[in-house]
Amino acid sequence: MFGYYLDMAIRSLKHNKVLTVLMVLAIGVGIGASMTTLTVMHLLSGDPLPGKSATLFRPLVDPDPTPERTHETPMDVMDYRSAMDLWSAHRADRQTLVVQSPVKVVAAATNVPPLMLMLLSTTTDFFPMFDVPFQYGSGWTADDDERRSRVAVISASLNDKLFGGANSVGRTLHLRNTDVRIIGVLKPWRPSPLFYMVAGGRFAHGDTADFYGKPEDVFVPFSSSLEINDGNFQQFTCWALPKIPGHLIDAPCEWVTVWVQLGDAGKAAAYRRFLADYAAQQKSLGRFTHAENTRLPNLMEWLDYNGVVPSDVHLQTWLAFAFLAICLFNTIGLLLAKFLRRGGEIGVRRALGATRGAIFAQFLMETALVGVLGGVLGWLLTLAGLSLVRRQPTPYADMVHLDVLMFATTFALSIAVSLLAGALPAFRASRVAPALQLKTQ
Amino acid sequence: MRIILAPLRRHSLMPVLVLLQVALACAILCNVFFLAWQRLQPMLAPSGVDADNLILVDNLAAQGRTYTAAESVAGEDALRAVPGVRAASSGFGLPMVSIASIMVNLQGPTHTAVGVNAFFGKGLVQTLGLQMVTGRDFLPSEYRPWGLGASNGSNSDWDTGVTQPVIITQALADKLFGAAPAVGQLLADPDPADKSDHGYQVVGVVKHLLRNEIGLATDGRADYTVLLARNIGNTAMLSYAVRVDPAMRDIALQGVKNAIKRQFGGANAGGAQARVQTYNEKRNDAFKSSRAALWLLLGMVLAIVIVTLVGIMGLTGFWVQRRTRQIGIRRALGARRAQILCYFFAENLLIVSVGILLGMALAYAGNILLMHYYELPHLPWMYLPVGAAVMLVIGQLGVLAPALRATEVPPVVATRSV
Repeated sequence: MFGYYLDMAIRSLKHNKVLTVLMVLAIGVGIGASMTTLTVMHLLSGDPLPGKSATLFRPLVDPDPTPERTHETPMDVMDYRSAMDLWSAHRADRQTLVVQSPVKVVAAATNVPPLMLMLLSTTTDFFPMFDVPFQYGSGWTADDDERRSRVAVISASLNDKLFGGANSVGRTLHLRNTDVRIIGVLKPWRPSPLFYMVAGGRFAHGDTADFYGKPEDVFVPFSSSLEINDGNFQQFTCWALPKIPGHLIDAPCEWVTVWVQLGDAGKAAAYRRFLADYAAQQKSLGRFTHAENTRLPNLMEWLDYNGVVPSDVHLQTWLAFAFLAICLFNTIGLLLAKFLRRGGEIGVRRALGATRGAIFAQFLMETALVGVLGGVLGWLLTLAGLSLVRRQPTPYADMVHLDVLMFATTFALSIAVSLLAGALPAFRASRVAPALQLKTQ
Repeated sequence: MRIILAPLRRHSLMPVLVLLQVALACAILCNVFFLAWQRLQPMLAPSGVDADNLILVDNLAAQGRTYTAAESVAGEDALRAVPGVRAASSGFGLPMVSIASIMVNLQGPTHTAVGVNAFFGKGLVQTLGLQMVTGRDFLPSEYRPWGLGASNGSNSDWDTGVTQPVIITQALADKLFGAAPAVGQLLADPDPADKSDHGYQVVGVVKHLLRNEIGLATDGRADYTVLLARNIGNTAMLSYAVRVDPAMRDIALQGVKNAIKRQFGGANAGGAQARVQTYNEKRNDAFKSSRAALWLLLGMVLAIVIVTLVGIMGLTGFWVQRRTRQIGIRRALGARRAQILCYFFAENLLIVSVGILLGMALAYAGNILLMHYYELPHLPWMYLPVGAAVMLVIGQLGVLAPALRATEVPPVVATRSV
């Protein structure tokens, strides 16, 4: 029966080519637009560390001592002292500090001109905590953090640029005025978003594309970087002006990000208590005024709170699906026109004994076939749409691609839309009274 | 009218489909036009500056220290010495330089507070080539230092409570003072964090000056910019505006680049990262994402128009075909071809109009939904008739071919198969 319906569907589609092309176009264009935006949405709203994100937390405190300035929520990052206190307490399974700053980089014994790159100041736990993949060498040890070792881990792209992709472990990099030894080279790594740096989303007015930038190119122990790149650090915010710009260790500024890993709910609850106790203790020492203002969101909560997916992308997705709805109505109309024109054929089939269900199934098969064709066109248009997105001046342009899931979704959505569009016309066709049709012939 | 309504009632499915399609398309088009206009407004707003002859220098960052006022002035002098340069000003918050923008709240006599971008720097009126409407430029004696120590120390000029001179734009003058002359008027600064309670006195009005937070340059706020009498010093970042002789534009640009390198390009200095660009290049960069978004919206509009047009054509064509006999009868009873044509146009007009009414309501609902999620203003009602007009044209165009085919139906059809 399936083969017979398929054969009839192909014949029917061939019979009226213009109408078929119009229907395939309508579905294809609608699917292309909505799948392009949906794919971007899927890439931007995914979990950057599946399976692990629930164990990563971001402790937040409110170190601003100004009594009259009460914040509804703590600031997104911390001052140096609070961050160091929490980090060195080692109360979590793993904990790390993260700070970004621009630095001038020259590789010894290469003729690549000096580069201005982003430096990530962090601690030993960063690499295992965030599953950062290594190509050569490894990260540094807690001892290196302690001794302010002049060591660095570099990104795959920097390794390609400076050393042609060769194993550069042991070679020297000149960071501003300091020589550091390369001890590790990462594999290509492109978390989406750059989750460990996400902060300040609530001030971005939905313009959050910058959260999807590339990871930094040079990673250096936090303690060492404070000496190497002193004067180049940027504050998130300050409650009073720093004396020396860029030198923030003793400045009244919030600029250090803290992440902790807590294996289970019990540990998370314990850490929450520890954080509250720490803030209370700092209040009794006179350093904090708003001690009750602490939070411990996990990674996904933090991304949600910052509204990481740019509002432009949301908007485009809404528009594309509204457009798909227009295409759906369009297809319903075209199918109805097509099916009801074939009243005579339906009458003959019914008179020869076909049930209403059989007629319904036959026409639904035809619409499903339109759906498959529309899916192929939609897939091609999605590829074209994504290549357009790749040429847009957005930070996430380079990682836009169609993965297997979205490829399958394209066809699933296309067939679902065509069946939805075909249900009403096929039902109307199956209700055609055979006698009336035969009489008019 | 009855002749139009009767077939619509009897076979309601086809018109309902057309109607729904029109409603959806109208709703989306209204919102898309609105979004496009939000993006387009800053691009169309007059800059007020001498755009073709303006060079901007920014991203001069002192590393681990601040630039002194003397260094800032030395930079100005070095730039003025370049052949082809007519004027140079060290400024903070310059046109199209959005790294650092300064927001100031102004409160006029009508108690409406307006958030504006402030531009600091000596001689900016002349350097930017602004057009004075009334009043005067700042006097050299009116400039006060601005910078880290100067602006926030307890005994700095910023906080003395002395009224500060300000130059505003025509748009601000209209907004704050209405028809009253602006020059000489006082403005308050209702910033709660600034306890000094100093006010501003308007000394001059310029015709246009586009703000540097260009995302906010919508809905008549493009010219919400003021000039304050401040010279720059003690800052971690320097930027310069340079006006050049039109005849020597290229030579001057190269000269400015060299001068910046000489002046700030020492080892380990911020000059290595300095950006020297013409105003037009900067403008081009600043609107890059807006342009991309506009192309996308344009593509959206085209796709919606084509799909709707094809849909209406297909549906009406089928519907006309089904009524071939009725058309034949009407022709046989004496209806002219023009009347048949009119009949289909009128029928389409009726369906599309109802669709538009529904679409307007949908457009408004969609706008409220978008406003709930995104920072968008209310959809102004003007967009509704625009969307409606587009849909009417699409509807009439869509019905044209099927209606013409209908007029070709000979009256003899009525006599067949009866």
